[in-house]
This record gives sequence, structure tokens and C-alpha cells, in this order.
Amino acid sequence: MQTATLQGRSFAFEKWLPSLLMLGLLAYLVLVPLVILLVSSVKPTGMPLDPGWTLDHFAETYSDPAFYRMAGTTFIFAIGSAMGALTIGILMAWLVERTDLPARGFVRVMILLPMATPPVLLAIAWVMLASPRTGFFNEILSPLMGEGRHLFDIFSMQGMIFVESLSLAPTTFLILSPAFRNMDPNLEEAARTSGAGIFTMIRRVMLPVLFPSLLAATGLLLMFGLLVFDIPGTLGMPVGIFVLSSQIVYLVNDAPGGLAEYGPISAMAVFFLVILLMITWGYRRATRNASRYVTMTGKSFRIRPYKLRRWKAPAVTFVSLYFFFATIAPIAILIWTSLMPYQAGVSLDMIPKMTMANHMAFFANSRAMSAAQNSVIIGGLAATIVALLSVLVSWLVIRSKAPGRNLIDLLSFLPLAIPGTMIGVALTYVYLTLGSLPIYGTIWIIVIAYVTTYIAFGTRTTHNVMLQLSPELEEASRASGAGWFRTMRRVVVPLTLPAIVAVWIWVVSHCLRELSSALLLQGFDNKTVPVLLWGYWTGGEPNKASAVGLWLILAMIILVSAWQILSARGRLVGVKA
Amino acid sequence: MLDIENLRVEYISASARHLAVDDISLSVKDGEFFTLLGPSGCGKTTTLRCIAGLETPQGGRISIDGNPVFDATSGKAMPTQKRDISMVFQSYAIWPNMSVAENVGFPLEVKGMRRAERRRIVDRTLEMVGLTSQADRPATMLSGGQQQRVALARAVIKEAKVLLLDEPLSNLDAKLREQMRAELRDLQRNVGTTSIYVTHDQDEALSLSDRIAVMHGGKVIEVGTPHDLYLKPRNLFTAQFIGEAQLFPCRPLERVGDGFLVETSFGKILAKVNTDLGGEATHVFVRPEHTEFVDPSSNACNVLSGRIVSTVFSGKHVEYDVETTCNQRLSVSASSANLRTPGDEVSLRLPPDNAVLLAGTA
Ligand SMILES: Nc1ncnc2c1ncn2[C@@H]1O[C@H](COP(=O)(O)OP(=O)(O)OP(=O)(O)O)[C@@H](O)[C@H]1O
Ligand SMILES: [Mg+2]
Repeated sequence: MQTATLQGRSFAFEKWLPSLLMLGLLAYLVLVPLVILLVSSVKPTGMPLDPGWTLDHFAETYSDPAFYRMAGTTFIFAIGSAMGALTIGILMAWLVERTDLPARGFVRVMILLPMATPPVLLAIAWVMLASPRTGFFNEILSPLMGEGRHLFDIFSMQGMIFVESLSLAPTTFLILSPAFRNMDPNLEEAARTSGAGIFTMIRRVMLPVLFPSLLAATGLLLMFGLLVFDIPGTLGMPVGIFVLSSQIVYLVNDAPGGLAEYGPISAMAVFFLVILLMITWGYRRATRNASRYVTMTGKSFRIRPYKLRRWKAPAVTFVSLYFFFATIAPIAILIWTSLMPYQAGVSLDMIPKMTMANHMAFFANSRAMSAAQNSVIIGGLAATIVALLSVLVSWLVIRSKAPGRNLIDLLSFLPLAIPGTMIGVALTYVYLTLGSLPIYGTIWIIVIAYVTTYIAFGTRTTHNVMLQLSPELEEASRASGAGWFRTMRRVVVPLTLPAIVAVWIWVVSHCLRELSSALLLQGFDNKTVPVLLWGYWTGGEPNKASAVGLWLILAMIILVSAWQILSARGRLVGVKA
Repeated sequence: MLDIENLRVEYISASARHLAVDDISLSVKDGEFFTLLGPSGCGKTTTLRCIAGLETPQGGRISIDGNPVFDATSGKAMPTQKRDISMVFQSYAIWPNMSVAENVGFPLEVKGMRRAERRRIVDRTLEMVGLTSQADRPATMLSGGQQQRVALARAVIKEAKVLLLDEPLSNLDAKLREQMRAELRDLQRNVGTTSIYVTHDQDEALSLSDRIAVMHGGKVIEVGTPHDLYLKPRNLFTAQFIGEAQLFPCRPLERVGDGFLVETSFGKILAKVNTDLGGEATHVFVRPEHTEFVDPSSNACNVLSGRIVSTVFSGKHVEYDVETTCNQRLSVSASSANLRTPGDEVSLRLPPDNAVLLAGTA
């Protein structure tokens, strides 16, 4: 029998095939839009397949002082809201995880509400609450201020930063609370028994331990701040405060010449892309070693909460104020407005005029219903694709010894650095020039945009789970004679299912609230609910916008709660919103 | 049955290359219980994983029952699932999403066996490992010992030619380990599969195996039956790793009858094991439990006189530390029937039949 030949393929081929397929797919999703964006920035017409090459767009853009003003505004906005969200998030995480704050469990649940509120709705609600003339807070305070003066102006940089901070705080909280929770109390106690005061303790013991998580949170918040469109679009655009995203939307949809100016848009985008890639790189470095610092000794310890004593009242006030500003007040004003026949301030006189007409209209309106249908279909498709793709990517990156797995990891992470607006613009190029795939203006182009955008989140979550899954479970399946497909179907997928479902729900909920890509990619019949809502709002129909928004929030609350429950069950830590 | 030739596994990390398996050749016979024994990190698991196809070696050939499954020169490797092996993992690797019966029946499910027939065989196998009553419980609710049995049943049910076991008893407590050891041996005898067993526990290796390969630093140092490795090891490392051995440097003198006389720091010793080494012998040893206390008046050979320095009582045995008249420390392990106390003057005999010659550097 010694002459029997060895059946089985040469391992070189077997090794490369899955990697090549996955790299091809990711390159198509991630690299093609990026490359086309770059190419179009050096084309005279701004369309990637048109003839000629030019550096004029760069010369023009980078010699224009307005560009630097816009860049400055973007950075101030991003840094300001990152600092705001960090301040709120750190304090809340510490209060909830390490102190004897009353109703800590309730706070953990309540934090889901601001997460379920789409940023665009938060911004709209805050316009109703604090616009200079008709804002509710300004109105009730006007007797104090005197005629013609107002306390708050939400249409300002401070307003934008304020609302963005409120909207990003839950993310910060979710990233930081595991770090606070897992911090070994012995460290704190050792510091205090050696005579260190509370500030020394924070500086010498807590900060170093929390540092990697803080760094990761800061990186992520800066990225979000640089990318986000909803809030600066709602609060800044009307008064001419432009950040990158709103500038792009403005140049595409409302260009002064009537035609979208893709050349300058791309030239501008390149600058931000470089900065975002740098932050992404830093973020990856910070998170790679994060687990090394967080003390997860496995030995159980009981946390002795820090006694707040006379600080209890201020702490409770702080937490209550956050929830008041981030959810209660905005949702209340949205409810009020949605019940009004026309835009009207809050007053007793208006109560008899309350009507359900706006809500009825939403359900009766065929355009609204088709938007809802689009949103559901897009969300379902994108989420399913992202969930499956994430499991495969994580399996390849974490589990297999496939060559090129680091590149796969990088490609799946890169979209975190690409603003939704840029993906919107890039996909416009791709599918306007690639005539062969006629999906421009359909829901499919939005599905592709969302898969690209959310693959980074999906893979981070499935990476975590895959790391917790012992490789021997898979090896045992192979040793039992099962091939790759059966091993995936019977072992890997069932064991990662809670995480997969969590990813799915997270992606659905984000697809439901995403505005910027959908706005740029909207065509005849692919309007989503946020685009519809944005249309009502910018078209001067705040009552309809509020009604639609409330139903959207309700759907979001259900999804986000389901996501949290499943995440907790799947033991995921540090997931981001 | 299982043939390994010149197996070589190298791990290349950022800083260094590390030979985990360094040119190993083994030949395991049909139905044999073959153990890989060695200290932590010597490459046992790596070797086993190469046989299973979970690791790709850089060099060598492996064949199972005459069928090549790996050949580095042609670069061909048969994937794990196609190899005629089954494996018990150190962590058991019980799938928490399946019941006990589903776990055990999985290899049959893979073969495409019908549900009813599968259940019949699963029930029979579970009975063999004494888990019949647990069949439909979720696998996660079992105790360590029960999980171990599930893992074993799952491996046995596949009826593969070669059964691979990676320290299957190391996660159990001492009592349970003893019990499982006996069960494992019985099971293997009944099923009759060729088994490759990995352990770093010499007691386990000695009591279970037909043959043992002693490994060290990625190499196979010595292969032999438990009996031979214990009583007449050929290698200094084996002598010290299996059982206790105090090696004494020696100078060979002359052949005397069926023994060989060597000179040590405490006098001349006659050794009757490994006398074929003859003039090459560098060390001699007698295991503490083979050393005897004798009557001081005895004029047999290999007798030393000395004084007990300290004792350690462990129930079954007493370990004595003895200092001979020429200041050589020896340890002796004797039955606790006859207790001696520190300070006692004693005479020791190193029986020539148990005095083993070795050649090499310690
Ligand atoms: N994936 C790997 N990467 C790098 N080095 C490895 C890897 N796996 C094992 N090694 C190294 O190879 C050597 C042999 O490892 P192996 O796991 O085979 O040891 P072992 O004999 O099974 O030890 P133990 O009894 O502790 O299980 C060790 O030095 C180990 O550090
Ligand atoms: Mg091992």
C-alpha cells in the first residue's frame, strides 16, 4: 500500500481561494468607491470616465480660504462634540458602574432611549425647543429676557455641539462602562490605603487603566464628529455654518450652478479622507492592546460602590438633566407638534385643536408607505448581508490561517473612515459610469452603500465573539469528519447566533435612521423614511415630520431593546452605536 | 498502521523561528496504545495535530493504514475531515448548542446515517460510557467527568482507524482521573482502535500504554514499553523523566561475569543493566525504591554504610535521605512497615540487577 497516492489538493490553492474571493468582494465594496473618488478629483468634469486629467480641482479647493474655514468649522464641531460626549459619557459610566447612585439599573436601560432617537429627529426637536424666536424654552423664558432677546440659539456652533454631544453620549457610555466595570477594585483600594487622595487616585490609578478605552472612545467620537451629517445639516446649514458633510450635500443637491460639482467635492473629500484614515489607524492601534490593560483577571470580585454622600443630589440632577435634554423634552415636543394642525407653540389654547390627522396621513399616504416599505426592505437586506459577511470575515481573520487575512481585516475596517456622504457620492460615480449595472436610483444602490458603511461595525462585533469561541470546537467538528460548510452550519453559526442577530438588529436600526447616503442616492422610487422626513422638514411641514419621526422612534426603541438584550446574552463588550 | 517520517514543524514568529517538532519518525502498530510523553512544550500536541491534519508541517510524511495523508515534498495534504482519525481534545470541545446525544451522534450525522439507526448506535455508545440517562440533556449541564465521557464517546463512535487523545484526563481531579484512566484503558481494549495518547503525566503513560515515545525539545528521545523505559532506559533524560533517578557519574572498569564493574565517588559498583554499553558508560543509577536496607554484617557486593539524615513520611512509603561514609547523599524509598529515624546507622545495598548503566551527558 506504500504506493498509494495522496488524494487531496495541494494546499497552496486551497489556502488562497477563500481569501481571494473575500478580498475581491471587499475591494469591490470598499476600494472601488474610494479609487473612483480619487480618480474623479483629477478629472476636469469630475466624472471618472470622462477624458483628460487635471489638478485644477485641488488647486482651486486648496487655495480657497472658504475651504479652510469649512475645515476649521468641521474640526471645531468634531472636537467640541467629542469632548462634550466624553464628559457626559465618562461621568455617567463612572456613576453607574462605580458609585451608589440610586436606580443605576434604570439608567442602564434608559440610556437606550437616546440611542433610539435618530440624530436628525433630535436636531429637529431641538429646533422646536430652542430656536431663537419660536423655541419652547426661549418662549417660556422670554418674560425674563425682555422683548426681542432670547436665551438660546440652537442655530449656532454651540447648539450643534450641544445636540451632537447629547446624541453621542450613549455610545461613549457603552464603550466605557465595561472598562469601569472590569476595573479591579483592589487597585482603587490599594491606592487609597497607601494614603492617596481621590484626585491622586484618579490620576495615578484610574486614568492609566482606563486610558486605552478612553483613547478608543475619543478616536471613534472624533470620526463620528467628522462624518456626521444629520445634526450640522439641520442646525448649521440654514444659517450657513457648513461642515464637510453638509458642504458635500449642499454641493450635490443645491449647487449654485444647478449641476453637481463632483470635481471640487472629490478634491475636498480627499483631504478629510487622509485625516480620517490617520484617526482610524490610531484607533486600531489603541484598541488592539485594549484588552491587555483592562484587568479581566477572571477571578470574581465584588465591587464596593464609591459612596457619593453629599454629591448624591448633584449626581442625580446631572443624570436627570441628561435624560431630560436627550429624550424627554425632544420626544415631548415632537408629540406635541405631531398633534398640531400647523406649526404652533406649546400653549393651553392649542389643546382643543389637537388632531391625529398627521398620524393618519402617514398611514394613508402611499408615498409614506412606500418609503416605510423601502426602509424595511433596505434594512433587512443590508443587515442580512452584513451579518453573513461579518461572520465570514471574522472567521477568515481570526480563525483561518488564510493568507491575506490582515488585508481582509483592514478592508473590512476601512469604511469606518468613510463618511456616508462620501460613499453616497462615490457610488453615484460608480453606477452612473458603470452603465452595465443599472441600479442607480433603486433601493439596491442604497443597500450597497449600507453594506459598505456597516461592515466595519459588524466585523468588530463578530471578531469579539469569534475570539471567545474556542478553536477546538471547530477542530472537533472537522475531526468528526464534517467539512467546512457543515462545521459552519452546525457549530460556528449556532454558537455565534446571538451576536449575529445583534449585528443584524443594529444594522437594521441604523439603516432606518441613516440620512446622508440615502439623501445623496435618492432617485425616483428609493426614498427611505428619513429622506421623507427630511423632505417634510425642509419643505416646511414640521407637523408631518414629527408624526413620521415618532413612529420611527417607536420602531427604533423596539429594535434597540432587542439588540441590547441579545448583546448582553452574547456577552459582547464595547459595542458602539 | 500509523507511520510518521521525518516530521518537522516550525513556528515562525516576528522575532524568531522555533522548531516545535524536530525530525520525528514513529511507527505505531495496529491496535496499539501508543503514548507521547514529555515535559510541557516538547511538541506532543503539535505532533498529534499534524496527524489529525489540524497543523501543516514543513517537512516529512505521514500515512495512516498505508494511505499517505501528508507529504511535504509533493505539498499535498489530506484535509482533517477526510482522514480516518477521531480525536479527543484537552478541553473536550463539547458543542454547547447540542444535546449529549447530538454531540455523540455528530460523526454519524456527517456520514449521512438515518436518524433512527443513528440513535440506536448512540444509545449503545452512551451505555458503554455510562451516560444513558443523560442522553437528552444539554451538553453544557454535565460535570467535568461526564463531559470527558461524551468527548470519548463522540470519538469512539466514528470507528476511525486511529484515535487521538490530547491529555484527556488533565482537567479532572485526582480521584476521577484514576477512575477514568481505568475506564479509558478498558474502552480502548474493547474497541481495539489504534490510539495515540498525549500526556505529560508519567504515571498515566506507564499504566495505560503498550509503548511510549519519550519526547524532549521537539525530538523523540526514546521509544519503548513502559517496562523497558522504567527498568532499563537507554537515555539519561528518560531515566530522570520517568520515575526518580539519581545519576552518579562513573568510570567503567571491567566486565565481571554478566555485569560490569564501574568506579564511582563512593566506591565500586557492579551493574547488570545495559552492560552492552561497557566501556562507554558515563553514569550509573539505582532507583530509590530498588535500593535496599541490609544487615551491616552482610558481605554482598554494592553495599554501602551510612547514616539517615532525614525522613519524609507519605503513608505508603517513607523517603529516607542517607549520607554514606564517603559523604555521598542517596535517597531510598522503603515501605512504612519498618520505620527508621534520623541518626540511625544503616547499610544500603544497590542491587546489581537494578543498577543501570547509561552513556551521555547529563
Ligand atoms: N501556534 C503556535 N505558534 C508559535 N509557537 C507555538 C504554537 N503552538 C505551539 N508552539 C510552540 O511549540 C512548542 C511545542 O508546543 P506543543 O503545544 O506541541 O507542546 P506540548 O508538548 O503539547 O506541551 P503541553 O504539555 O504544555 O501541552 C512550544 O514551545 C510552543 O511554544
Ligand atoms: Mg499540549
